[in-house]
This record gives sequence, structure tokens and C-alpha cells, in this order.
Amino acid sequence: MLAAFRPGWLRAPPTLNDLPAIAAATLIGAPVLAACLGGLLFGGGMAWDQVVETRLWFYLSSTLGVLLLCAALVLAAAVPAAWLVSAFDFPGRPILDWALVVPLAAPGYVIAYAYADLLGVAGPFQSAIRDVTGLAARDFWFPDVYSVPGCAFVLAACLYPYVYLSARAAFTTQSVCALEAARSLGAGPTRAFWQVALPGARPAIAAGLSLALMEAAADYGAADFLGVPTLTVGLVRTWASFGDAAAAARLSVFLIAIALAFQWLERRGRGQGGVQASSIRWRAQERVRLRGLTAIGASLFCLTVLATGFLVPVARLVWIAIEQRASVAPLSDALWNSVLLAGMGAAFAFVLAVIIALGARHRKIGARLGQIAASAGYSVPGAVLAVGGLMVLSILPLSLTGGTAIALLVWIYASRFTAAGAGPMEAALMRAPASLGHAARSLGAGPLRQAWSVDRPIALSGAAIGALILFVETLKELPATLMLRPFNWDTLAVRAHAYASDERLAAAAAPSLLITLAGLGPILILCRQLARARPGGQ
Amino acid sequence: MRIPALFAAIVALSACSGDAPPDETSADAGVLNVYSARHYDSDRLLYAAFEEETGIRVRVRETSAPQLLETMKAEGERSPADLVIASDAGALYRFQEAGLTQDSSSERLNEVIPERFRDPDGHWYGLAKRIRLIAYDPERVSPDQVDEYTDLADPALEGEVCIRSGSNIYNLSLMGELIERAGAEAASSWADAVVSNFARAPQGGDTAQIEAVAAGECSVALVNHYYWVRVATNASSDRRAIAEATALSFPSFGDAGTHVNVTGAAVAANAPNKEAAIAFIEFLTTPEGQRFLTMETKEFPLVEGVPLPEGLETLPAFEESDLQLTVLGARQSEAQSVFLNAGWD
Repeated sequence: MLAAFRPGWLRAPPTLNDLPAIAAATLIGAPVLAACLGGLLFGGGMAWDQVVETRLWFYLSSTLGVLLLCAALVLAAAVPAAWLVSAFDFPGRPILDWALVVPLAAPGYVIAYAYADLLGVAGPFQSAIRDVTGLAARDFWFPDVYSVPGCAFVLAACLYPYVYLSARAAFTTQSVCALEAARSLGAGPTRAFWQVALPGARPAIAAGLSLALMEAAADYGAADFLGVPTLTVGLVRTWASFGDAAAAARLSVFLIAIALAFQWLERRGRGQGGVQASSIRWRAQERVRLRGLTAIGASLFCLTVLATGFLVPVARLVWIAIEQRASVAPLSDALWNSVLLAGMGAAFAFVLAVIIALGARHRKIGARLGQIAASAGYSVPGAVLAVGGLMVLSILPLSLTGGTAIALLVWIYASRFTAAGAGPMEAALMRAPASLGHAARSLGAGPLRQAWSVDRPIALSGAAIGALILFVETLKELPATLMLRPFNWDTLAVRAHAYASDERLAAAAAPSLLITLAGLGPILILCRQLARARPGGQ
Repeated sequence: MRIPALFAAIVALSACSGDAPPDETSADAGVLNVYSARHYDSDRLLYAAFEEETGIRVRVRETSAPQLLETMKAEGERSPADLVIASDAGALYRFQEAGLTQDSSSERLNEVIPERFRDPDGHWYGLAKRIRLIAYDPERVSPDQVDEYTDLADPALEGEVCIRSGSNIYNLSLMGELIERAGAEAASSWADAVVSNFARAPQGGDTAQIEAVAAGECSVALVNHYYWVRVATNASSDRRAIAEATALSFPSFGDAGTHVNVTGAAVAANAPNKEAAIAFIEFLTTPEGQRFLTMETKEFPLVEGVPLPEGLETLPAFEESDLQLTVLGARQSEAQSVFLNAGWD
């Protein structure tokens, strides 16, 4: 997602051209900084000692546990699926190709509600086992979804598309020549995968994984519902039960540190994975047609991934909604609010993302700052940013009502999600050789002209993808919306959460499904964009 | 969701930054701003009925009680909130303790609401009742094994008890009553013994505990009555079967009756429209208000003579504890440390 680290930007002092990027960086970073400063300014509260003494280890170990397990599950599901879909032909492949992205439409907390119900003691699986065997719940072991592995599973189920998307793009845009060379040298598909395709796709996979893990680290809804004490959950509890601002802000510093670690890892991955395509001749890769058991195996694998991430949990929610005769009529206001807020948030974040992505192309100091700020914002729970924003608001001083509240919310959305929008644009820009830009400059094009004539067409596909991701992410956002929305501005996410925390899963099913539906449209467009953006795509 | 209190810091900041005039607070008498910790669709009917009767427009912010609390702290004097609605006297106490409520005594309220269900200084009023009782597996446990709260500590129930987290307000309030009646020491050893009876670490809400009893993961659970009633009256027969597999006990504290708590309302300290807020609380004590307040939640109406919501008529008669509910708030921090020391997470 982020451009390779180049110390070159240090040598060039900031110029006027850096101003937009510096402004974007300031906007994005301000809530994070305000929250951190709040922690430092107000000193260590009483609760901090207690948190360190009794909770910090739990928070850290469950966060690391969730992230590690989630990373393993995401990689195990997404990379093989992407490779199968890219390199082979098998039954269902054309549909699975885009359908595997669909879980992006469902927020983690929605998947958590569904799996808590499905795998819970009163759920269909455990009930069936009891009915068939005549055993009681205590007589047999069943995986506990209210646990670190359970939470990692749920998050992996809905976050794997980040890695699938980036890996799929990388496998497809790899020069076919390298793969054909490998094959002509006698490497079978497996060996070609491990020795040619995978090393080449590693930077993209790392980028996708870092996005997925930042999302996982910032998740509040799923971890809270499943009772897993991650840092994010702990931070929110420290606020609510101890009322200790400083201690909470200090916990958020840990989360920011985790995010920066991901960035570093990602950059390292990119640096080492420097497999440069020597040829810029693209040709559609011939997919190998699979037959017999291998074909069925490939179909089944991809279908299982899709079913786990989307079909099964969503079908369960649909079932609950029907069984409970849930009505969507009371939710029409919330639906409208969700779409409106997500539209505004995504639009603002998009502008910032464009500024950063274009700046990064030219390795400007402002854009570098913007990337750092965006990554920090992306990895921090919405609640932290909201509080940071409120602190800025109170200095101004304004009160949290009406238009001010909406403006603040839109700002926080941008601070939180710009990284997700900038990523695809940067990736699109990076695929083009730098010599294009050099050529433009040697022909006398200024930075603006270059942005319009050279970068814009290249970035366009990435920009469309970025905009769609921004919209869907904002639509799913929960904690900041919960805190900052003005009167009578409930969104679907807010209603789903309210019902679920009241232990009324049946009532939560309808708004959960509506969020998923509202996100599904943009995701499907996104799939089409992706198919088009591919070399050889129609 | 319980979110932020970094808000507290904002209060400090805004205090030294000069207050701007409230831009959208309801200075006009035609608007009532409600901060509610409830999320029931039937509450919309309630607000609509009040709007129709008084012509006062109701605007609502619904979030969890802790978050409403921190929001109000942050908003300080500029808070647009007129009225807070929250479940559990312990939660209402937190608002009062933070200085966010004010005396809203009215003749009507003091007349219809029994003294033990309201703050003596009029800072909050209970409006609907909830009972914390024991759901048990009748095939494994006999009724006399669970007719007192202290029975949950009985070694005979080792590995049989399912209860949610000790930081949950319902458990904190129950513990508050236990400390009041039996003393902190006895309450502490009770908590230790209950923890050693746990069938599993505390997880999920009250409904999840009922499900666990029905599935045979444990045989006794401590739950609020309305969770059981909602399962028992569910549209799905699978759900109803869960309630049917369990029996209810209305436990007592020795000779004092069953633990009762309330959903209540408090007028905000800086309410721009205090009169409308009091009028609204009074409306909640009318038969119509009581009906809308309890029809979906399945709480007990608090005002005498109001019919029970559907589903409650099947519950047997029981004796209520006579505790003055202000005790629950006053004992809250003690209760929290008892749970912490017992490792009842």
C-alpha cells in the first residue's frame, strides 16, 4: 500500500507543491495526535497502574494471538484461492473469481453475530450433535467461538479478500513470460507457483495482509461481542469503566506502534521482493484447464473459502430474519443515513487519498507524512480518532450537534480510512515504470500537467477501486459513528450493534443484512473494475 | 458499546477555552432531547404518543449508558440532554454521582412511584421493574437447591453454574444488595465459592446462559426475568424449546424477597427544557406510557393497576425484596472489588 521508503525525500526541502499533501497529512493525523497528546498531557491516571498490573498482558497476548492466527488463516485461504483462480480453469471459476471478493461487504461484527449463533451452544451444529448422539453439551468438545481463535477465525473470514485481491492482481499482472520460461524449463505448476509466482507476488500479498491485519487490530465490534480482550476492546473498556482518559490514550499508543510495525514489515517485504519485470510486454496468461478430482478440489477449496466468509453466515442471518419475521420498514431512515454518511465520508477521504497517492508517486515529503498519518489512522480504532477529533473540536470551541457533528464524523471517517483508498491508487501508479514520469518531465511537463496527463490515466482503475473500498468501509464503521452521530442519525451499523448488545440477535439480523446488501452493490462494481483493469481483461 | 471517556479530558479542555453558545440545543420549549440507553422499536411509539399528547418534539440519542455518561460529561454545561433513560438503578446512580442529574421531584411522581424505587432527592425515578432470578435444569436440580441466591455457592453445584461477567451492571447491583444484607466479608466468600462452581469462564449475555442450561452445559444460571420471557415467547419453536427445557426459581436473600431493579429516568443537570423532561417522566407513569415502556422489553410495569405485558402472566407470584435501590449505587464500587478479588471477570 505504501511506497517504498526512499531517503531521497529528505534531500529535497518541501516546496509549494507539497502544500496539499502536507494539509492532507495534517487533517488525517490530527485526531491521532490529539488522542496521543491527550494521554501525555493529562499524565498517567490511577487506572494506568491497574491496567499495567492486571490487564496489559491479557490485552497484548490476545491481540497478538488474534493477529497471528488471523494472518495464518487469511494467507492459507486467500493465496491458494487467488492462485487457483488466476492460473487454472475449473468448474465455477468465472463466478468464484469475483465472488471471492464479496465478503468485503459484510462487517466483522455481523459475521461475529452469525457465527456466535451458528457455533453457540444453542446453535444448529451443537444442537444437531446433541440430537444425534444423545450427549449433553458438557459431554463433548466443540470449538468455542468466544475465544481468541474464534475471534481470529471470524476476522479472517471477512478480511481475507484484502489478500485475495492483491494476490490475484499480482498473479495476473506478472509477466507471463516469467511463468512460461519457468514452464519451458520443466517446472510444473506447483514449482512455478513456489519459485516464480509467489516470490513475485510477495510484495502485493504483504501489502494486502498488512491492510487486513490493521483492520483486525482496530476491530472493536467482533472482539467485544465475542468477549476477547484485545487492546482495542481494553482501550474502550478503560474509558468506559475506569473513565481514565490518559490510560486509554496510552493503550492507543500500543496500537499505533503495531500499525507502524506492519508498515515496516510491508516495506521490508517490498524491498526484498524486488522482482523486477524486465519485460513490459503483457499477454493474457493461458489458464491451465484442470480435470477430474483436481478440478473438483479446486472448486471445493474456493467455494469453502467463500462459504465460510459469506454464504454460511449470511444465510444464517437471513434464516433468523425470516424465522423471526423481522421487518425492515423501521430501518429505512437508518439505511438512508448510512448511505448518506458513507457517501460524504468516502468523498472526502477520496480527495485526501488522491493527493497522497499522487504525491507519493513523486516521493514528496508531504505525501510521505500523509502515508504515515493515514496508516496510523487506519490502524487505530474509530473510537480513538473520534475522541481525538472531539478534543480538537472543544478547543475551537464547537459543540457536537447538527452540522458540526456530521462534519466531524466525516473528518474522522477520512482520518480512519484514507489509507484504504490510497492503497489501490498507489499500487496502480507503482506498476507503471518510473521512466514514464521521467519522460514527461524531460518533455517539460510540470507537476500538475504530469499528474493530469500521465498519472491520472494510470491511476484511474486504482482510483475507482479505492473509492469503492472507501464507501464500503465507511458504511461498516461502528465506534466513531456511535459516538459522534447527531440526534436522530442512527445508521444501520449503530442499530445492529444496539440490538446485538441487547442480546436480540433476531432484531440485529435485519440491519446487519441491510449493511451487507448496501455494500454488496459497490463490491460487485469493484469486481468488474478489477476484471477490466487486468491486462487482457474485457 | 461502551466507548470513550477521553471525553473527561475534553471537559478539562473546553473549560479553559471559553464556551460557545449552544448552537442546536433545545432552548425552545417545543423540543425534548432524550439520551436513552434503551434500543427498542416500541420506544418510538412511546415518543410518538408523547409528541401527540403534548406537541413537544422528541429527539433521541441512543447509546449504552456508559457512553451516554461520558458524552454528557464531555458536553458539560453545553449538553443538549434534557432527560436520561437507563436500565438499572446502579447505572442511574452513576449519572447522579457524576453530577449530571438534578432534582425533578413532582407531586405526581412521588405519589405513584414507591419510595424505594426512586432517589429520595428526586434525582432519578424508577419506571419499570426487572427481577434477577435463577434459571435451572429441572432434571438435574431440585427447586429447593436454588431457592436462595446464596445457594449458588453450594459445593453441590460445583461445575454447574453459568453466569455472565462480574463487571456487568446486573451482577454489580445484585452484589450490592448481597453486601448490604450479608456484609462485605460474607459476600466475598460467596463470590469465591460461586467462582469455584463455574461451569465455564463468564461469557455472553443472560440469554447465552439460559441457552447453556438448556443445552446441558451447566444446570443453573443467573438471569434477568425478561431474557427468559423473550425466549419463552419467541416466534420460533426452537427458541421456545430452550425456555421450556429450563425452570425458573425466584430466589431470596434469606427472608427478604427476590432482587428487584428498575429502568428509570433522570432529568439532566443542564437540561435546556426541564419542564418537558418532567412532563415526559410523568407521561411514562400513565397507563399508556407504562404499556409502551414494557410491551417489548417484558419488564414489569411499576405503577399499580397497569396490566402486565404479554408473556409475564405465566410467571408465578413472588415476593419482592424491599431494598431501597439507592443502596445499589452506593455499594457499586465495593461490589466491583469483590468480583475483581474473586477473579469473576
